[in-house]
Amino acid sequence: MSKAARGSGGLAWALVGPTLLLLIAFNVFPLVYNVVSSFTNAELIGGDSRWVGGAQYTRVFDDDLFGGALRRTALFVVCAVAVEMLLGFVLALSLQREFRGKQAVLTALLVPMMLSPAVMGLFWNLVLNGNYGIVNHALAALGFDPPQWLTDRDLKFWSILMIDVWMWTPFMMLISLAGLSSIPTSIYEAAQIDRASAWKVFTRITLPMCGPVLGLAVLFRATDALKQFDLVMAVTGPNDGATQTLSTLLYQVVFRDGKVGLGAAFSCVILVVVIALATVFTRYIDRVQARDGV
Amino acid sequence: MRVLRYLVVVLYFLVATAPLVWMGLSSLKHRDDSIRPHANFLPALSAPATPTDPRFEATLAAYRQLGEVHAGAQQSFWSHLGNSVLIGVLSTLASVALGTCCAYGFSRFRVPGAKDWLFFILSTRFLPPLAVVVPVLIMYRTLDLQGTHAGLIVLYTVFNLSLAVWLMKGFLDDIPRAFEEAALVDGYSRAQAFVRVVLPEARTGMAVTAVFCLISAWNEYGFAMTLNSSGAITVPAYFAGLQGNIEGMPWPQIAAGALLFVAPIVVFTVLVRKNLLRGMTFGTIKQ
Repeated sequence: MSKAARGSGGLAWALVGPTLLLLIAFNVFPLVYNVVSSFTNAELIGGDSRWVGGAQYTRVFDDDLFGGALRRTALFVVCAVAVEMLLGFVLALSLQREFRGKQAVLTALLVPMMLSPAVMGLFWNLVLNGNYGIVNHALAALGFDPPQWLTDRDLKFWSILMIDVWMWTPFMMLISLAGLSSIPTSIYEAAQIDRASAWKVFTRITLPMCGPVLGLAVLFRATDALKQFDLVMAVTGPNDGATQTLSTLLYQVVFRDGKVGLGAAFSCVILVVVIALATVFTRYIDRVQARDGV
Repeated sequence: MRVLRYLVVVLYFLVATAPLVWMGLSSLKHRDDSIRPHANFLPALSAPATPTDPRFEATLAAYRQLGEVHAGAQQSFWSHLGNSVLIGVLSTLASVALGTCCAYGFSRFRVPGAKDWLFFILSTRFLPPLAVVVPVLIMYRTLDLQGTHAGLIVLYTVFNLSLAVWLMKGFLDDIPRAFEEAALVDGYSRAQAFVRVVLPEARTGMAVTAVFCLISAWNEYGFAMTLNSSGAITVPAYFAGLQGNIEGMPWPQIAAGALLFVAPIVVFTVLVRKNLLRGMTFGTIKQ
C-alpha cells in the first residue's frame, strides 16, 4: 500500500474526481443558485426578474403557510419515527427466535419498504376510499361507522402517516433485528445466572446495547420523513391545508404558482434545517463507526 | 409469551401483505366491480346474480387494456414502463461504474480530506429533491434536457452516487489488499490490478449496489414529475398524472400496471435479502 500510495495522487484524483465534480455540479450549484434567486422575484415562466432584497424572506416568515408546513412536517417526522420504531422493535423482539420459514416470513415483511411510495400511495387511495374501499367495507361489516380516511380534514394527515408506517416499519424492524443479534448470548447467560428479571434484562442489557444502532435508524428515518412528498401528493395533492408538508409546499409555490424567487427563499430556509440535521447525522455515524465498527 | 409472539408476527404479516394481495385481486376486476359500494373479494368464473354478492367475475381484461391510452395521459402504460426500464438500467450502470471507481480511490489511496469528501457525498442524499429541482430545471432548459431520457438518466446517476460510493466502499474495504499487492509484485500495473483482480472480487458487491440503485431510480417520483412532465415520463409520474382525470380512475388497469411495476422489485428484494440492511443504510451497518 505505502509504495503504491506514494506518487499515486494523480490516479487517486482520477478515480474520485468525476464523482465529486458531478455531485458538486448537481448539489452545490443549485444551492448557490437558490441563494441568489431568493433575493429576486423570478418566476417559472417569463424571463424578467428584479432584485428585491430580503422581501421574499419577509414573506416566508410572515406567511403562516411556512410555519404551518414546518409544524406539520415536524409532527409527521416525530410520529412516524416513534410509531415505526416502537412497532419495528416489538416485531424484531417477536422475530428474534428461530422458527421454520423465518427467512421467508422476514422477506415478505420487508417488501413494503422497497416499493414505490408514489405508486403504493396511489393504490392506497383505492384501499381507503370512503365509499368503495375494502377497509371501510370491512369496518362496516364489523359494525363500525366507516370514517372518510382521505377526505376528512382531521383524519387525512393521520391516514398518510398510517401509510408511511405501513411502508417503513419493516426498516425499523430490520435495524432492530441487527441490533438484537449483535448482543452476545454470553451476556444474557450471565444475567440468567444472576437471576435478573426479564424486565431488568431488557432495560439494562437489550436496550442500551441496541442503542447506537437504533440511533442510526432514527436518524435515517427522520431525514427521510423530513422530505415527505410522494405520499402526500398521492393522497391529497400539494395544496391541502391539512396535509401540506415542506416539500409539497415547495411544489405548490414553484410549480403551481410559478413563484421561483419565493420558492428559492423557502428552499434556503429548509436547507438550513436539513444541513443542520445532516451534520448531526454524519457526526453520529462517524462516532458509531469509530466506536464499534458497526 | 410464545403465543403473543406468533400473534404479533402473523398479524403484521397480514398487514404487510394485504395491500399487495388486494392489488392482485383488483387487477382481475371489471371497473364497475372495483368501485362497487358492496365488498367483493372472491374471484369467480361468472358474474354473480346479485350486486351484494361477495364474489366478482374474474377477468384479465385489465392486463389486455394496459396498451390503452387513458384520459390524463398521452401514452399507454407500456411505453411508460419502457421509459422506467431505460432510465433505471442506464442510470444504474453509470452510477455503479462511477461509484466503484470513486470508492476504490477512497478505499486504497490517500485522498486529502477523504473523510470530509465521503460525508459530503453522503449528505447530498439528505437534500429534498424539491429544494434543488428548480436550478436543475433551469439548467436542463438551457441544455434542452427537460423531458428527455438523457436528462433523468444523468440526474439519477448523480442522485445514486452517494449510495453507490458508500456501498461499494464497504464492499471494497472487505477485499484484502494482499490480492492487489500480489498482482503488483507479478508486474501488473495499478489499473490492471484493479480491473483483473479487484473487480472480479467485488462482483457480488457491485450486483447488490446495482440492485439498490435500480430500485431507488425505479421508485423515484419528485424529480420525475417535475423535470419530465412533458416527455420520457416514468411509471410513478404516469400513475400520479391519472389522478383527477374526468373519466375517473381506471382502478383495475392501475392495479394491473402497479403489480407489474412492483413485481421486479419484489424479486430483487428476495435476491438481495441478505444485504437488505446494508443497502438501506448506505453500508453503515454491515450484516
